[in-house]
Parts: sequence; C-alpha cells; structure tokens
Amino acid sequence: MNIFLRELRSNLKSLLVWSGIVVLFSLVGFSKFSAFYENPELTAILDSMPPAVLSALSMNAFNLTTVTGFFGIMILYFSLILAIAAAMWGSDIISKEERDRTVEFSLTLPVTRARLVTAKTAAAAVNCLLLLLVTWGITLVSAQNYQPDSQFYSFVAISMLAFFLMQMIFLALGIFLGCAMKRHKRAGSLAVSILLGAYFVSILAGLSEDLGFLRYVSPFKYFDPVMMMRESRLEVTFVLLSVAIVALLLAGAYTAYARRDLYI
Amino acid sequence: MSIIEVNHLTKYYGKSRGIVDVSFNVEEGEIFGFIGPNGAGKSTTIRLFLSLIYPTKGEARIFGKDCITFGPEIRQEIGYLPSEVFYYEGMKVLDLLKYSASFYKKDCTQRMQELADLMELDLKRRISDLSYGNKKKVGIVQGLLHQPKLIVLDEPTAGLDPLMQHKFFNLIREENKRGATVFFSSHILGEVQRLCNRVAIIKEGSIIAIQDIKTLQKDNYKKIRVTADGLDEKRFQVEGVTELGKENGTVSLFYKGDINVLVQLIGSRKITDLTVEDLTLEEIFMHYYE
Repeated sequence: MNIFLRELRSNLKSLLVWSGIVVLFSLVGFSKFSAFYENPELTAILDSMPPAVLSALSMNAFNLTTVTGFFGIMILYFSLILAIAAAMWGSDIISKEERDRTVEFSLTLPVTRARLVTAKTAAAAVNCLLLLLVTWGITLVSAQNYQPDSQFYSFVAISMLAFFLMQMIFLALGIFLGCAMKRHKRAGSLAVSILLGAYFVSILAGLSEDLGFLRYVSPFKYFDPVMMMRESRLEVTFVLLSVAIVALLLAGAYTAYARRDLYI
Repeated sequence: MSIIEVNHLTKYYGKSRGIVDVSFNVEEGEIFGFIGPNGAGKSTTIRLFLSLIYPTKGEARIFGKDCITFGPEIRQEIGYLPSEVFYYEGMKVLDLLKYSASFYKKDCTQRMQELADLMELDLKRRISDLSYGNKKKVGIVQGLLHQPKLIVLDEPTAGLDPLMQHKFFNLIREENKRGATVFFSSHILGEVQRLCNRVAIIKEGSIIAIQDIKTLQKDNYKKIRVTADGLDEKRFQVEGVTELGKENGTVSLFYKGDINVLVQLIGSRKITDLTVEDLTLEEIFMHYYE
C-alpha cells in the first residue's frame, strides 16, 4: 500500500497535466462543433468529399450536425490521447527507478520485485481511470448546450468502457517494456512508437476490405464507434482479445522483471 | 555462524567481467573490510548480495539463506548504504525515512529520530535541496533505522566531512558492539585499517588475499632502509626482496622472509642509519596491485 500511495502522489502532477490536455482538447473540439451544429451546409460539403478520406477520419457514419455524431468523431482523438498517456505512464513508472537510480533504494528494501510491479501497475491504472473520468465529465459538460438525447449518454458510456480497455492495453504495453527492456531509457519512446504504429495500421485497415484482418492488429480498431453508437455494445471477441493482451503483457512484465539485472 | 557465505560467485555483464569465482565468509560480529580500486568488482559483489543483479555462476548466502530465493526476507535485516545515494527527489527527508521505515516489521520511529539527531540531519528539507553530503546522511539514517543485523557499506565516507566521518565510524562501532556484522567496502585503506578485523582484497574481479588486518601487517613485508658508505644495492638481490632502490647513499627495499639473511647481507659494514618498519596498509595494497 505504501508504494501504491507514494506512486499516486508522485504522479499527481502528470495526471493534472494530462487532465488539462483532455479538457483543453474537449473545449476546442466542442467550440468547433458549435459551427456544425444543426448546419445543413456542412452536410452538403461532407457529401462531396471522397469516401476514402471520410473513412480515414471515420466521418462516414456520423451525422456531424448532431452532438452524438460529433462525439463519434471525437472518439478517435480521445482514444489517442488516453492511450498515449497510458503508455507513457506505464513505461515511466517502472523505468524511472532505473533512470533516477532510485532502484538501489526501492529494491534494497525488503520487497519482492513482483510487489513493486503490482503496486506501480495499480497506481498507474488508477491514474488512467481518473483521466478517463475527467474525459467523461468534460464530455458531458461540453455537450449540455447541444440537447444531448438518451442515445448520446449511452453512446458516451459505452465509449468510456472501450477507452478503458484501450488504456489498459497500452498501460500494460508500457509496463511490459519498462520491465523487460535493458535499455530502460528507450522504453517510453518505444511504447509510444508502437502506439503510433498501431494507429496507422488502424487507418490502413479502414481503407480496404482486403486489409480487414488488420483489425485484429490495432487496438484502435477493436471497438467500432458505429456499433457503439447504434447498438450500445462492444464486440465480445475484441473485449476478450483486449483482456488476453493485457494479461499476456503483464505476465511477461512480471517474468522479465523478476529475472533481469537492474541497471544502476 | 557465518553471516555471509560466498561460494564461487561469478558475474559477467555480457562479455565484460564483473567478478570471477569469488569465495569468502564473513562471521557474525565481524567488521569485514573489502578493498580494491574502482572497477575491481566491489559494488558488483554487493549488488549480488542484495539481488539487484543475478550471478552468472555460484551463490551468495546471507544468514544461511540464498540471496535470491530469500531476498526480501534477508533484506529485513540488512542495512545498505550505497556509495552514491539517490532518493525520490520530490520527497521531504522525514517522509522518505517514514516511507523506508514502513517496510520493516518493527517500529523504527525512535531510532530514526536518534540517528537524525546524531547526524544533525534536518528532517524538514526536501531531498532535491540537499547537498551530496547531506544526502549521504539521509542514507546513513535510512540504512540504520531498522537496527539491521548486517550493515553493508559501499564506500560510505565519500562526501562526509572529517567530523561526520568520525561520528559515522563511532556509530558503526556501536552498531557492531550491539551485535551487528559489518561488511565495509572501500578503497580508502586508512579507514579500513581503523575499523576492520579482517579484510579481503579484490583485484580485477578476483580475491587475491583474505587476512586479519594485524597479520596482514605483521607477517608481511618489512620496509628496510640502510645507509652505509659504499653500499652496493646489487648485493640485496636475493629471494624475498622487492622494491629495491638506492637514493643518496640510502638503499631501500621491501623484504619478506628470514630477517637473519638480510642482517648477514648488510654484514659488518659501518652503518650510519638503519630503519626497519612494518608496511602501512597503503603500501601492502600498492604491492598487491603492482
């Protein structure tokens, strides 16, 4: 518990910074939306754009003149922000001990390495959850001016669940890289590189039917916003896949960290 | 009972050498010195004790238990002071010490306060604001607040002023009287000489001697200087003589062996001056490292 609380306290500043980013992004986003809101001209413009472009921006299924449709577009950007925060927190919370050379203190105390990883993972997961709540809160607050209906609320709620699963995947990835990599300085940048790679794969997957299998590769494609909006549910296959990936990465993290030399 | 047992402990970092086939025992109640220059493998050995790194071959046992399997349990009773201390920069000294104390099964509050008073440590300051020497003091308090049975010191005096060094040595002696065993790694021979009962000398990753401090000085080389007219230093080129030299009519040499042989070599010459000394630890050490 002591490690967990200390980590929470030491990550507070970072949580505030990321919360600021989410709030700012949301405010800017919704202020743009005020121009689209109930604006028939926009619909005409969008209709004239090539379908591939719309698909890349996942704009083809959403009616941008309603707040529900607009949130459907925002999902992509929210998930990017939340995933990057999760990946960076995950890799940093482990690798900072070696970077700051505090590992010679924290792991010469009577603790197992597994206990350290557990406490740190829990602290980072709580951070992710808090950032998610900030996202949820600011979304609901920002939407108030645009007559959100019940579909909007359930769409946002199911999206938050999808965000959470995505956060956990990238958090676990960060933790795994922090634990496994000998060159701990690179853990953070590699985690974010993999994340951006996954994002581009998700764009590719949307471009052609033939590339549909790529859906399984990129967590950004696991949860289809259209399905979330229309049916308020996630595909079970991808929920299970997410859980499996998290479990695998964490198992790998514990195993690698227990076995490797620490660099001081 | 041996507090530390090291058996054929070997550590390679990839291809580069850490330590090779190191074996020794440290007995209960000893202050055991571990000397060698930078890069000889002192810190590697200590990090293996603390299972921060894992051995390539061999094993280390502390309190009779394997360092890796029983690491956390063993560390309940180890106090460790690294050569350079690094703590969470944003924390206040008091919070850091309380955090450290929270991992031990006993109440450390009183001892923590005593040690902080003794080392004149300001508990309200932030770690990031502390000088190198003050960080070291935090390290001393943090390492000793749980009254460990084994104290592991890795070049502990760096950064401490002479007054603090003196206090620190007294503290270590007291802890030793209380029953703590001390493993004292250093490259400063003076302090090892002052404090330790036995010493192991490590060179390029291997132990080259383990001896009592006293026998190390006694049964070892004598440092001899002879001043006499027309004395040719070549006559001293016999077995047991090293460091032979001549300057301003004075022949100086290190000698190990039957002292009578040397007396005969000096013979019946008219000697103006003769000194025979034990080597200081410094000189013994330099000799081992030639």
